[in-house]
Amino acid sequence: MFQSRAESLALVLPAMLFAAVIFIAPVLILLSEGLRPAGSWSLTYYISFFTTPLNLTVFLRTLKLGALVTVSAAVIGYAAALCIVNLSPKGRGQMVGLIVLPLMISPVARTYAWIVILGRTGIVNQALGALGLTDAPLRILFSETAIFIGLLQLFLPLMIISLVSALENMPRDAISAARVLGANWLQVFWKVILPLTKEGLVIGGTLVFTGSLTAYITPAILGGSKVLMLETLLYQRVTIANDFASASVIAMILIVMSFSANLLLKRLATARAKR
Amino acid sequence: MTSRILSTAILGAVMIFLIGPFFIIVAASLSAGETLAFPPQGLSFRWVLKVFEIESFRSSFAMSMMLAVFGTLAALLIGTPVSYALARYKLPLGETIRTIVSAPIIVPGIVVGLALLRYLVIPFGFNLTLALFMAHTALVLPYAVRVVSASMTNLRSDIEEAAVLLGCSRLGAFLRVVLPNIRGGILAAFILGFVTSFNQVPVSLFLSGPGIRTLPIDMLAYLETTYDPSVAALSALLAFMSIGIVFLAERFLGFSRYV
Repeated sequence: MFQSRAESLALVLPAMLFAAVIFIAPVLILLSEGLRPAGSWSLTYYISFFTTPLNLTVFLRTLKLGALVTVSAAVIGYAAALCIVNLSPKGRGQMVGLIVLPLMISPVARTYAWIVILGRTGIVNQALGALGLTDAPLRILFSETAIFIGLLQLFLPLMIISLVSALENMPRDAISAARVLGANWLQVFWKVILPLTKEGLVIGGTLVFTGSLTAYITPAILGGSKVLMLETLLYQRVTIANDFASASVIAMILIVMSFSANLLLKRLATARAKR
Repeated sequence: MTSRILSTAILGAVMIFLIGPFFIIVAASLSAGETLAFPPQGLSFRWVLKVFEIESFRSSFAMSMMLAVFGTLAALLIGTPVSYALARYKLPLGETIRTIVSAPIIVPGIVVGLALLRYLVIPFGFNLTLALFMAHTALVLPYAVRVVSASMTNLRSDIEEAAVLLGCSRLGAFLRVVLPNIRGGILAAFILGFVTSFNQVPVSLFLSGPGIRTLPIDMLAYLETTYDPSVAALSALLAFMSIGIVFLAERFLGFSRYV
């Protein structure tokens, strides 16, 4: 009944125009700027970006922290999700609600709390000092450790929720069947739970990994001006040195990584829909 | 029995890690001392009250509120027709359209902000507040389309066709039949968009100028120079605001159904 092409075009046109002018065109120009030093296509900016030791350090640190946060979130996420699915339906709902809640709170507020906890006179240093374990306060703030803790707290909920929904879709008696047949807990995890919840793990992992790679607030607050990640480096290059070449290269890295992650997710979604 | 204890211990530890810092922020903001500390030195509301006296927080709060409300409304205004078209028409490039409107999720906010500054604000003298508004609209658009689409797919098209057959105009049928039915989805999209826009930092980083700043950016700037508990107090207030919004939305709307 509703088949008019003109009508459908009129409905989508405002949003398409908006996205093209405000969003797609400026971003494409920004990306092309990094590929066209002095008006012709070349990879000069990319080569000089990656041959600068500081840039390379920041790039590798961002990848390393992203990987560490993702793996840690997966380990903690499985432990938590397995506990949650064993709760009563009511308890399960409440628990999921509590885990989602932090996602709605300002990341600045959530990250700021770690200054109180990890600072020189923070709780951790007070406790270590009182126990006589350290002579001088440890420097935890403004380090990779602080960023790692901050990112893990920020993104762990996404992993837990993905794993909870994957575990809920798993046949309930698979675990008890394996147990009856004599598998120990480790075997149950590797041979039954992991293969059956692989998709949830990949979904959660992609969300946590891309979230960590493109984080700005956490490294800005907990890393200070010395321990940079890609987004804080981008900001510094532009505000301090007016260096738009590096900014364009970093923008490209961020977009490529986040786009590939998204593609992977879409693949998974269509594969599941076909089954 | 042991597995029960283990399970409680694991969940307890995870909850302390996720939610514990929030309680520390609340406690630190009630301190009477001059610097940020936990446990708080004495108890007072001086820092909570001070938040309301800091002029820049007041203006940046107003800015963030305005961006979140009008940015989300604008995104719904252009996004709802897209959701409707995607659900009702066989669009030749449906998938492409979906990808284009959800692109702002894939491109990091900091890149969008920089691109807008460099190619719209600087060369064309584009107003900075307007650029911020556009950036926040773009940011919320994917959520608006996705959440409204979800409630559109649950709506059968034949009641709308019936209205048209009975003499209602197409627009009239949309306003009187479709809109009341997707009201919940639109409200849920508004809340999700509002919270996302209000908390967003990277997209607004480069789009700041004298007197033009969003609240989270203002907080980051304040942190660099001052070490008193006022940011803790403001963080606690904002967290309570978010919790309140989500709680009310869940209570009256069943928010989690849509998100």
